[in-house]
Amino acid sequence: MNIEQLLTQAEGLLASWNKETIRPESNRLDVVIAGDDLRAAVTALHEAHWGYLSAVTGLDLGPASAQMEALYHFCSGPAITSLRIRLPHDNASLPSIADILPPASFFEREMQEMLGFKFSGLNISERLFLPDDWPEDVYPMRANFTLDQAAPVAGRHADELPEQGVVGGNTFVIPIGPQHPALKEPGHFEFTVDGEIVTAARMRLGYAHRGIEKAAESRNWIQNLYLFERVCGICSHTHAMAYSLGVEKLAQVEAPPRAQAIRELVAGLERVHSHLLWLGVAAHEAGFDTLFMYSWRDRETVMNLLEQITGNRVNYSANLLGGVKCDIGPEQAKAVKEGLTYLETRIRHYLEVVTTDVMFLNRTRNIGTISFDEAVRFGLLGPTARASGLVRDVRVEAPYGAYGHFPVSAVTETNGDLEARCEVRLKELLVSCFTMRTIVDNLPEGPLTVRMPRKIPAGETISRIEAPRGELFYFIKSNGGETPARIHIRTPSLCNWVSVLEKAVGRQLADVPMLIAGMDPCFSCNDRVVTVTRPGSNENWSWKQLREYGIEYYKR
Amino acid sequence: MNTFTSLFTLLIFPAGLTLMLVGMFYEWIDRKLVARFQNRVGPRWFQPFADTLKLFAKEQIKPAIVNPYLFFGLPIAALAGALTAALYVPLMGLNPASNFPGDLIVTIYLLSLPTMCVGLAGWNTSGRFSLIGATRTLTQLFAYEAPFLLAMLGPALVAGSWQINTINGYAQNHWLIFTQPVGFIVALIGLMGKLELPPFDAPEAETEIVAGALTEYSGRGLAMFKISRSVELIIGLSLVSSFYLGGLNGIPSFLFKSLALLLVMSVLQVLLTRLRIDQTVGLWWRFGAILVLAQLLVMILWKGLAL
Repeated sequence: MNIEQLLTQAEGLLASWNKETIRPESNRLDVVIAGDDLRAAVTALHEAHWGYLSAVTGLDLGPASAQMEALYHFCSGPAITSLRIRLPHDNASLPSIADILPPASFFEREMQEMLGFKFSGLNISERLFLPDDWPEDVYPMRANFTLDQAAPVAGRHADELPEQGVVGGNTFVIPIGPQHPALKEPGHFEFTVDGEIVTAARMRLGYAHRGIEKAAESRNWIQNLYLFERVCGICSHTHAMAYSLGVEKLAQVEAPPRAQAIRELVAGLERVHSHLLWLGVAAHEAGFDTLFMYSWRDRETVMNLLEQITGNRVNYSANLLGGVKCDIGPEQAKAVKEGLTYLETRIRHYLEVVTTDVMFLNRTRNIGTISFDEAVRFGLLGPTARASGLVRDVRVEAPYGAYGHFPVSAVTETNGDLEARCEVRLKELLVSCFTMRTIVDNLPEGPLTVRMPRKIPAGETISRIEAPRGELFYFIKSNGGETPARIHIRTPSLCNWVSVLEKAVGRQLADVPMLIAGMDPCFSCNDRVVTVTRPGSNENWSWKQLREYGIEYYKR
Repeated sequence: MNTFTSLFTLLIFPAGLTLMLVGMFYEWIDRKLVARFQNRVGPRWFQPFADTLKLFAKEQIKPAIVNPYLFFGLPIAALAGALTAALYVPLMGLNPASNFPGDLIVTIYLLSLPTMCVGLAGWNTSGRFSLIGATRTLTQLFAYEAPFLLAMLGPALVAGSWQINTINGYAQNHWLIFTQPVGFIVALIGLMGKLELPPFDAPEAETEIVAGALTEYSGRGLAMFKISRSVELIIGLSLVSSFYLGGLNGIPSFLFKSLALLLVMSVLQVLLTRLRIDQTVGLWWRFGAILVLAQLLVMILWKGLAL
């Protein structure tokens, strides 16, 4: 089905609740509905298997209108249908859809904490993102939020754990995180174990909140490019690319073909780096440190390539609004091809290791198996979904940038266990390597950048990109000014958490780190919304102080 | 033997101080080998000594709710157990400091003492990671202990003695690794289990339970547990090489044979993925114990028929 047919079908499904239909872009359909009709509308789309719930965006339309808007984005291939619900500030309550679509619980909790939406039927009051001592009824993403509202409230703590974590009998609560050797980033999990068997799981995020979404609203379009690159240290390029593509779409500017190809090339290298890093972490969680050391050694090859092309190892800063900064000359092309040849041999070797090493298979085969139906129900994304046979790959479903000219094929496995997740990631790297080689050989000639206006025309756009961990979703709204009105990011890890919490129950404690690692979580991606510099805190540095500190630091 | 020589034997050479130093040196060799196999640089030669010195110099933090006698006593008991076991073993290929008929059984039980102490220490500190670690340590103890004992029993049976020194003498004329290969493999892997080396490091799997039973230990207590493990390593290597690798009759033969064993052990550590605790227990009881028992049965039958 093409986009038109998909959107017509969605319109038909939603006809009985439809109050107004808007077509903001050629691949998008916005249907305005009433809050009470939400569950019925979602059920209709869900039962007709029209796409999946990709993200839920909350918008504060400003103090003037005293209204907020909730946007439920469903994606099916390249087509996006958004359910728009307008609600007044003082009564922003919606029915929860978490029982129909489990990943929605994370989206709803985010909106509940950040914007003050109320979800009837969600029944989770504990915080996922905001600090425990954050005051009640203060919502950082509201338009009228000011820092002095956020003074820490003494005495407001998380639910106290029972003494010693002993729940009764042989049952303990094992805390993993926020500081724990299994986690390289801060997150908090509590696994209730009976002996060695996990009987309950809960999680808490938000330890690395930097308030990037809020910060974006006070920076101009160009500054934000660098800000969003810092959402994640592993997939920095994909964030910058998603942002650039979105802003370019709003400005109706298209980056030249050569720039698009270079973007895809850097994204490919980044995927190699990310997946090799993941393989090492997964091997370490399983207690196979040799694989960890070797895969990280080989990851250096791709890190060096990235450095040679862009000049940086982590935040590559390859993108510009309207193009890219770095070119691929003959020297870089040669280095990339040599590097890829080496990496391909190594990746083939690792593929052999993860599929034949008996001791490693002991820890991966038939563990944490997610069936196809469960993958659909949990709303999984990226390699985690593809390991269960569910094709969720934006590069294939809705090609963006240069992916139309240099296509990749989706790699899927059917077993859905940890072994399949290893296989999918490694095989996908081989596909990536092949595509990158093609790009280097057939790089289109032409300029690297086009001119971008400083002010971006008013409008809303959605930019979806396949990050190494799955679909990355950017919702960008401009009021026609020099700064964006709202940028909402939904990272792939957020959608995949449901699977970990559901699958850990009933497994052995020893499998839990593997299960967490199996979806390749990225905590800093999840954590981005809250301002952490608050009055009354010693670490409240002004921008000027921070800048001076940075200059002083590098003088030494 | 006058008091002075006894004290010298007990405290300085070959047991006591020398044993600890050699133990730490072997620990360094193991760490260095594993590091090189894993493409890492690895520690410098004095790293284990420096670690130990540093730990001894540091404060030992006592959790609020522990039994203090157990908390401070257990590391001492563990180290004492390991050092006492050393008296009956041909350390560095020299004659054992002491021996009596049946010292093999005593030695093997003294060797389990450090593990028991670690288990008790984990239970005593009652942190959540410690408790899970202690449970795993003790579960693993019950898994490898019997097969390890049976594997030590094989050489004793053919030598017709329960005295380590006699078995060592017998083994110098018989390379039992060839006649009892199953026993050798079980003994070697049992030793790795005893020392909680990968793939048997589930009791201290850092990605799940931080440092297992010893999570709450710091300073001197931790240092003593670490030393008792190094001592155990030397004793274990001495036992296995004297029983299965043609006996020990001098420092060169000790160095050569124990280092060869250590090399094999470090290769195994590098190649194998950590076993879950249920997999460890399954491995020992489904394969280890049954294979050794079968070998013992064959030996008993053969001996009986030959007589």
